[in-house]
Amino acid sequence: MTVKRIAFVQELLKFMGLEGRLHLEWISSAEAQKYVDVVTKFTEKIRNMGPNPLRAINEMKKAG
Amino acid sequence: MDCEFVPSVCSYCGTGCGVLFEVIDGRINRTLPLKSHPVNQGKLCIKGWNLHEYINSYMRLKGPLVRENGRLEKATWDEAVNQAARRFTRIKEEHGPDSIGVLVSAKITNEENYLAQKFTRAVIGTNNVDHCARL
Amino acid sequence: MDMVKAAKELLLQDKVDIFLGYRKLDGHQIPHGFTKAHVDDLDQLEISLNRYPLEKIACDLAQKDPALKIGILARDCSQRALNLLYTWDQLNPENIETLTVNCCPSPLSTHGDCSYLTPKPTGDYKKAHGVDYNDSPKDFLANHDSGERLSRWMYEFQKCIKCYGCRNVCPVCFCKECSLEHPNLVEPGVLPAEVPIFHLIRATHMAGRCIDCGLCEDACPAHIPLRMLYREVNDAVSDIFGYVPGDHIEKSPFSIIGKTVELTPAPMDV
Repeated sequence: MTVKRIAFVQELLKFMGLEGRLHLEWISSAEAQKYVDVVTKFTEKIRNMGPNPLRAINEMKKAG
Repeated sequence: MDCEFVPSVCSYCGTGCGVLFEVIDGRINRTLPLKSHPVNQGKLCIKGWNLHEYINSYMRLKGPLVRENGRLEKATWDEAVNQAARRFTRIKEEHGPDSIGVLVSAKITNEENYLAQKFTRAVIGTNNVDHCARL
Repeated sequence: MDMVKAAKELLLQDKVDIFLGYRKLDGHQIPHGFTKAHVDDLDQLEISLNRYPLEKIACDLAQKDPALKIGILARDCSQRALNLLYTWDQLNPENIETLTVNCCPSPLSTHGDCSYLTPKPTGDYKKAHGVDYNDSPKDFLANHDSGERLSRWMYEFQKCIKCYGCRNVCPVCFCKECSLEHPNLVEPGVLPAEVPIFHLIRATHMAGRCIDCGLCEDACPAHIPLRMLYREVNDAVSDIFGYVPGDHIEKSPFSIIGKTVELTPAPMDV
């Protein structure tokens, strides 16, 4: 069920112009190294993409 | 089972959107926008969409109540109107007519609104009269 | 008129207890529940140009009396909505009789009675800064980069006055508890609505449900192109799961747990 929902939401976010900010990975509790790798890779990816554009829009709205 | 639809006008604000009540067995069950109404053209705001809720609310006032000894008691219209007249007269005598203000509604007729301002100016004797559609 | 005769037969032969159609009252074409006791009222039966969610009304009736047999004047979108409501056990197909009327034109039936025969006009400002009602989701995705897609949708969403009309009018929105009323997801009493969360929650819940009737877009006081958004939702569901809601009676991929769909998480592209 999770993979179905995530696959759909990824598609929806792409349509909205927010692609790449959602990721699903199966990691067992025995796969410590994989966990570290995935989190590092994803953090790096998000950092390269920069802050969430929604934040800028919301702050602009607050400022009027 | 009986199911009919009754076109009406939203009773919340002065815009006057057309609504359609879904009446099942004599009880209003749902409100829909009236699509062919020239004012709202099939659209409603959140208050209009929930119009049926207050009609069926158990809190709804269905007759006059008069406060006696701190409690609201059921009364007849004669009792309630007499009580109101007595108290208004007393307030007017003690504090002057400008201590009373009248707010009228967009949901009564022009003639009733006219009557209300006439009552305020001629009977009570104050210019403190206003209307919710003057927002 | 054949339609009136057919509806009268349904009522007189006790095939249905109530027939949901349209009639004219005070100059407005509005829905009406015709009954056997007043069968002559059916002479006023009309195929209204204004569409109302008759299937939703049928659900209301079925909730009051589950054994009630209901006849419905059904367009193509009503048929899809009924199929979906059968799928989700909201209506019993044995209790529903439909009289089909022409709707959106197709190669087989060029005549239609639907309000969508002429495309809705889109203003110039909306075309420049917002989302065109008549754009196809595929073209929208191809013609605009991600920043522009976001800004265009945010332009549309921020107009929302949170009237909940899209949900209230939707023939396939039948949940007793709605996520849009959950205080942790959508803060009650706060305007403007939290965008785009409010609309994305609804879009997500339309996955595998939306039957593309367009009533939500009709009911939106802020002119948000909701039909176009839910078309994209439908495209995504059909691309990923090969499921078209309301096409026939088939469980939605989101309602079945198990291995009916073989999917693996998409790899991370850096």
